[in-house]
Amino acid sequence: MSDSEMPPERPPLFFAGSDDEEDDVVMGLEGPVASSSSPAPSRASSRLAGSDDENPVQPDIISSQKRPIYVDDDSEDDSKAKPPRPKAGPSHKPPPKKRRISPPSQPDPPPTYIGEMVFAHAWSNVSGKGYIKVNEEVKIMREPKENPKKDGSGLKNKKTGDGKKQMSLTAMMKQPAKSNLKNKKTDNIVRLYNSRGFEFGRLPQDVSSWMAKLLDLGIVEFRGKMLDCPEKLSTGATLIVTADVYMLPGAFKPSNPDTDGNKATVMFSEGTETLDEQTLRERKASILKLFDVIGLRPHAGANFVGSKSDEDIAEEALKKMASRKSKKVTEIVGDDEEIEVEEEEELSENDLDMIYQKAQKSDRTMGEMEAPDTFTFTLRGYQKQALLWMHSLELGKMDAREATSMHPLWSQYAFSDLDLCTRVIDLTADEKLFYFNPYSGELSLDFPKAERKGRGGILAHNSEMGMGKTIELAALIHTNCAPDTERPAEDPVPATKHRQLKLNNAFKKVPRHKAQKAPFATLIVAPTSLLSQWEGELQRCSTPGSVTVLLWHGQNRRDLEDVLEDDDDGDSTIKVIITSYGVLASEHAKSEKSSSKSPVFEIEWLRVVLDEAHMCKSRTSKTAKAVYALNARRRWAVTGTPIVNKLEDLYSLLKFLDFRPWSDYSFFRSFITLPFLARDPKAIEIVQIILESILLRREKTMLDTNGKRIVELPQKEVTMEYLEFSSMERKIYNSLFNSAKRDFEQLNAKGLVGKNYTHILAMLMRLRRAVLHPNLVLASDDHRTLPKEGDGAVDVNDLIKRFEQGTQAGEGSNVFAQKALENLDLDGADAECPLCLDVMQSPMIIPECMHRFCKDCIIAHVANSDDSKCPNCSRGPVYVPRRIQNPVYSCGKNDFRSSTKLDALVDNLRKLREQDPCFRAVVFSQFTSFLDLIEVVLKREHFEQYRFDGSMDVKKRGIALDEFRASTRRPKVLIVSLKAGGVGLNMDCWWNQATENQAIDRVHRIGQEKTVYVKHFIVSNTIEGRILRIQKRKTAIVKEAFRGSGSGGARTDPESMENLKIMFGEEPDEK
Amino acid sequence: MSLPKASLQRPRIIKETERLVADPAPGITAAPHDDNLRYFDVTIQGPDGSPFQQGIFKLELFLPEEYPMAPPKVRFLTKIYHPNIDKLGRICLDILKDKWSPALQIRTVLLSVQALLSAPNPDDPLAPDVARHYKENEKDAQRVSREWTQQYAS
Repeated sequence: MSDSEMPPERPPLFFAGSDDEEDDVVMGLEGPVASSSSPAPSRASSRLAGSDDENPVQPDIISSQKRPIYVDDDSEDDSKAKPPRPKAGPSHKPPPKKRRISPPSQPDPPPTYIGEMVFAHAWSNVSGKGYIKVNEEVKIMREPKENPKKDGSGLKNKKTGDGKKQMSLTAMMKQPAKSNLKNKKTDNIVRLYNSRGFEFGRLPQDVSSWMAKLLDLGIVEFRGKMLDCPEKLSTGATLIVTADVYMLPGAFKPSNPDTDGNKATVMFSEGTETLDEQTLRERKASILKLFDVIGLRPHAGANFVGSKSDEDIAEEALKKMASRKSKKVTEIVGDDEEIEVEEEEELSENDLDMIYQKAQKSDRTMGEMEAPDTFTFTLRGYQKQALLWMHSLELGKMDAREATSMHPLWSQYAFSDLDLCTRVIDLTADEKLFYFNPYSGELSLDFPKAERKGRGGILAHNSEMGMGKTIELAALIHTNCAPDTERPAEDPVPATKHRQLKLNNAFKKVPRHKAQKAPFATLIVAPTSLLSQWEGELQRCSTPGSVTVLLWHGQNRRDLEDVLEDDDDGDSTIKVIITSYGVLASEHAKSEKSSSKSPVFEIEWLRVVLDEAHMCKSRTSKTAKAVYALNARRRWAVTGTPIVNKLEDLYSLLKFLDFRPWSDYSFFRSFITLPFLARDPKAIEIVQIILESILLRREKTMLDTNGKRIVELPQKEVTMEYLEFSSMERKIYNSLFNSAKRDFEQLNAKGLVGKNYTHILAMLMRLRRAVLHPNLVLASDDHRTLPKEGDGAVDVNDLIKRFEQGTQAGEGSNVFAQKALENLDLDGADAECPLCLDVMQSPMIIPECMHRFCKDCIIAHVANSDDSKCPNCSRGPVYVPRRIQNPVYSCGKNDFRSSTKLDALVDNLRKLREQDPCFRAVVFSQFTSFLDLIEVVLKREHFEQYRFDGSMDVKKRGIALDEFRASTRRPKVLIVSLKAGGVGLNMDCWWNQATENQAIDRVHRIGQEKTVYVKHFIVSNTIEGRILRIQKRKTAIVKEAFRGSGSGGARTDPESMENLKIMFGEEPDEK
Repeated sequence: MSLPKASLQRPRIIKETERLVADPAPGITAAPHDDNLRYFDVTIQGPDGSPFQQGIFKLELFLPEEYPMAPPKVRFLTKIYHPNIDKLGRICLDILKDKWSPALQIRTVLLSVQALLSAPNPDDPLAPDVARHYKENEKDAQRVSREWTQQYAS
């Protein structure tokens, strides 16, 4: 018996759709696999056939009952299963027959062999002889206690049947969960039955804990054989059992990559772990464990099981998440070691490179596409590529860049080669592979493609400007201008996934105005400073009348719906609405308060474009929320830096793009953020794959198909002009520097740098101002912090004053001012304002009489009287310029004292004027106060000048730019604050070269025809040289540690320290 | 542009007061009331060489809310025979009226008043009879002034 028992055990596997002959073949093939002799294959199969006939309708009954709960099914089935059992008798054929029937109606793959495992520590729970012998079949099952006698075959059958039913997602997720929970609470014992259905032993707890779940869920089936046991069993006797593990068809049922999103929603959206989630999690864990035990390794894809540590990491991250969700998940709480969830964790430059690498891999060979006639510009090659890419994405095609990557969460596994059935039965015949999602526990036979369903993507052109993102989008707007008449729910999903599709749709928003016309308008959201540029650019690149652009901004915004309705009749122009993030956020806030939604969120847009999309990188910001609330068919995020410094920066974009499943925050977090924090390289891989499908990144330096640079920019010549301080300036600077350095060294020695970060920043800023013009240090508000030297060092205030009085004689332009200044009564230590009797705050000088007052005081005085005169001498009338930016000089120009940098600037501009009488120059500095000084000098030199800074509103900026751009025969100079985004003659250094580059490159937009000369004015041996060195050290991402008001608080990362040391270090500056 | 008045004036008043106390102008004292820092008790010594020599004249000085954008109000408390000061003690002085400048201070005002004692200006009178007296018979008028000074201001 022992020998002949073996073969019958196997057949059930291969039954689906097979007839007797096939069975025979199968058996023949299988024999060797089983590594046991198979003396009676044909006998077995014939028996199978026989039993099959007896019970032909059973599966149908089962499935029609729709009872996913195993227990019930089993008990019901029991009665039906019984009749065949006696027949099958000692050879245990019953299970096959039932399985065999199902295939014809339902093309399910049969259970498939995936591996083998050995239980060395099973134990007997009975005493006596005759229960089991070596090599006898052992049924490894879960069994409710009330059914100890139940026939194993019936049970197995049931499970298969259940598998079918579980196709319905709900069944899969809900019912089993409940029953499972019940079972689990009571026991997770896996019992061993002999062929006659008598329980004689159990599997050890460590394996049964997870095996029980797999069995309950109908994922696998174990076909056991007794390897070794005592002749006579006694309670507790050790049994060694081997089992072949078969994957049941039911396991694959719900697994469909398309459902990821839905599942994710179900799984993670809720605050606490539901039963469903728990089931899924347990299922996943059990499958992982199984694969681990039987040594099944992924062939490709998520390299998950590759090493134990990886697995642990992922587990940990998941657990972490799960435990955060719900404290009551007791299984998880036990294991409490923490991944340091430090949200601030930033990406290194290398990480970033790696992330983008994949997304850019195939870009060089991408196809191109011409823009339609209404688009008047000529696109460059790479822009045509971008157009094609965007076009394809919008139409839901991925031809442009073949995305054949496997879904990042999935791993590919192969069924064991030894499996016989693969050649026999229809579906399995061509399916040697299966796929497993180690995160969700899903299994699938279909290749889980990394595909996306949202329309749109991320256009990530390197932060340096001049790439023409605007142009590319304008071309896209022209190309795909037809209203999107497709029903939004449409999805090119194969029919076989029908059920999932429906479920999927349930999660989509149904457009509110279905009956109305299809969406046709494009909404562009951009930073305020770029609104007019978008408008202008769109107009410029379109044939007249082809596009209607509306700037939806400012106080008197028109009713959007009106605009769109009105224009619609018979009007075929392309509608583009441009608005700002600010407007959007405030509209959103309004909508939240009142019940009526703002039309901008009501309208279903054909396309929404976010320019500088990193503006909403913080997912909790109001802006981001407003952006998410937009309703659009196609979504584009344009940004130079999709990932500013954290992986989570990307999340917000994905959320906007509705790129499932990643648009679910907890999903993103658990599969990307947490693994990344746990140093799991997989996180980066996932991001790579995400980006591959939705991101187009371009850099100036990238090459096209012909190996040329994709961008042929007008020439840009960058030079550095090194200047030397005058001796007085040098003294002032050195004095400031030494004091700052001393401060820093003291703090550093005490380890207090971190705490005094803002102080140090302030010192640095002051130094930088001192390089520009000494008065900027004086004029700044922090008099208090001016070093007061008692130890023989030079008094800076005094120095500055002497500088003001002018020690550099012989400069014609200054003679008058010099004289005037000499006449001033500057005796006191601090110049006192005669009005407030205090030290002069932002002194202003009345040009007539050179009397000086605080800015506030003199303004108040002038405002106070009808014909204002100098309070000191009654000369007048005195006028105060309307816009008073720089208190020191705006009242008059004659008191002006130049500085090294200003002189250099003027010299340069004078020379320029000689060479090219109608040149355009853009001067920028980070300090608006210095811009004021520049204005004064330029005025003196009679240059036509325009100003562009953050304090101006959009309209004024637009006017300034337009006028600057307008062609005349005279030279023009534009003075730009670096923060507002300008270009050209760089007066000082910026911490972050990227910012600087962006500003410089923007000059191309203002006027791209001519060669652009960029000149940095650097004063030798000052902090500027040191800043340059930092820039050189890393140009791509300079951590903005130095930026702004020290928002980083007391946090000082090593890098910042390093930078600070460069700032104050001893190394000689290069000239 | 509106001026943050309270914040700006207050320090000036205090500063002026401090300086007046710490570094008084010769022949002038000014002390604020404890309960009203805008109200000053002032004394001015009659300048040498004038009919008011040796006299100590009491004045009151009040800084209005608008000060220093508006001039202080100054009045003689001591009777004085002067063409530009009426019998109520009111003073005719341009800087206390239309020529006021915020650059002026209490000290400068009082110095101006003191100077006015040295240089009566009967052409711009506030006390017409005194002015006429000064114009018609300056010596006699000065005598009366001296008498008044002795009588009231010593």
